[in-house]
Amino acid sequence: MELMDRYLQAVRFALPKSQRDDIVQELKDSLLSQIEEREAVLDRRLTEDEQVDLLRKMGSPVQLASRYREQQGLIGPTVLPIYWKVLKASLGIAFLVQVLASIATAAAGRPLLVSLEPIFHYPGVALTVFAWVTLSFAALHFFGGKIQLNEAWDPRTLPPVVKLERKKSLIDSVASLVIGAIAAVWWLAGLRNPWLILGPGAAFMTFAPVWLTLYPLFVVLGIMEVLRHSLEIARPYATRAQTIARMVTRVLSLTVLAFLIRAGDTFLLTGSPRPQMQPLMTNINFSLHLGMIVVAVVLVAQLVVDAWKMLAGRGEQTHEAALGS
Amino acid sequence: MSHTVEVAANHEVLENLRLELRRGCLILAVLAELRQERYGYTLRKALADQGVEIDEGTLYPLLRRLESQGLLASEWREEDKRNKRFYHLSADGKAVLKQLTAEWKTINESLTAIL
Repeated sequence: MELMDRYLQAVRFALPKSQRDDIVQELKDSLLSQIEEREAVLDRRLTEDEQVDLLRKMGSPVQLASRYREQQGLIGPTVLPIYWKVLKASLGIAFLVQVLASIATAAAGRPLLVSLEPIFHYPGVALTVFAWVTLSFAALHFFGGKIQLNEAWDPRTLPPVVKLERKKSLIDSVASLVIGAIAAVWWLAGLRNPWLILGPGAAFMTFAPVWLTLYPLFVVLGIMEVLRHSLEIARPYATRAQTIARMVTRVLSLTVLAFLIRAGDTFLLTGSPRPQMQPLMTNINFSLHLGMIVVAVVLVAQLVVDAWKMLAGRGEQTHEAALGS
Repeated sequence: MSHTVEVAANHEVLENLRLELRRGCLILAVLAELRQERYGYTLRKALADQGVEIDEGTLYPLLRRLESQGLLASEWREEDKRNKRFYHLSADGKAVLKQLTAEWKTINESLTAIL
């Protein structure tokens, strides 16, 4: 029955979301009825080849799912599920490119607003990407009406069945990505322009040199965070890749913390401070030092838990070949 | 070579015409068969027993479409320890079936005379 479950999963991904459960349940019942009837006649279990024949008669998952869709104007129902996937992937990749451009601009020492420009320009870029993808698929539908996309499909090549519990909602993941991207750019710009982070405090205090020494690591950390959130959106179900990305981010954060903890004072007085500012600065550095040690301990604990989950293989099913949502 | 291409093209034209011819007939057959409540699998078998072959990939989407047009009604019920979706003609479906049957008879008589 594994082949049937894989087939139904592939159909499910290409169906309209609101009807997925209903349609898949009905198709499953139909397939089970057919299998039971054939097995009763043959008085034995169906072989894999016989199951493949039965599924092939249903049509490829994309073809079957397309019959549940109405004609969508420019884009034909057969290519519509592929169109949605390509459109979502293209919009995601375009956003990632804009974010990386923002991070690169901030890392080059440009002001915050200039650094954020690529992210702010994303709506225009998204519109262009939408237009190109839609036009390409409309052309495919118009000129390629006779192209049989799914002639040679085989149920045995379908992805394995995966658990479908989404750990985080799509809105949460997108919000995390956008906020994470803006925060990374703000932090990178802020390290070179302390008033962005310290506000009025920048009048009497500044970052110790160790922060700028660690600047390349912050750039890598910012990029890793953005990639990790992107992965959450592209592969929302529990995946080994997500755990690995999380672990890499934590190792990088630990490395940064280790340097900062060893450096001692992380903030210095600047300008011509009043003498009574020194004890305040000492307290700030002491509190930060303690805070960083606590965070480092928590990170180590989280890394141990992640590593244990990875080794035990608990709830982290691979999803590399799955079709996505 | 050009003969092979021509044969393939003719076959494609014939296949398209056959599909067009069948499409309307299948809807009529499905509506008529659902005067009695059935679920998808038994409906397909009932049609096949009377010589109307229809594959699942065509039948199930067709049932959804007819239901969304208000011609069919359906409900999930348990039978043989499995949940099944039972379909039957709605009041609108009965009226449409009556009109389509009359239409079919007229076309059939005319075509028989022509052919």
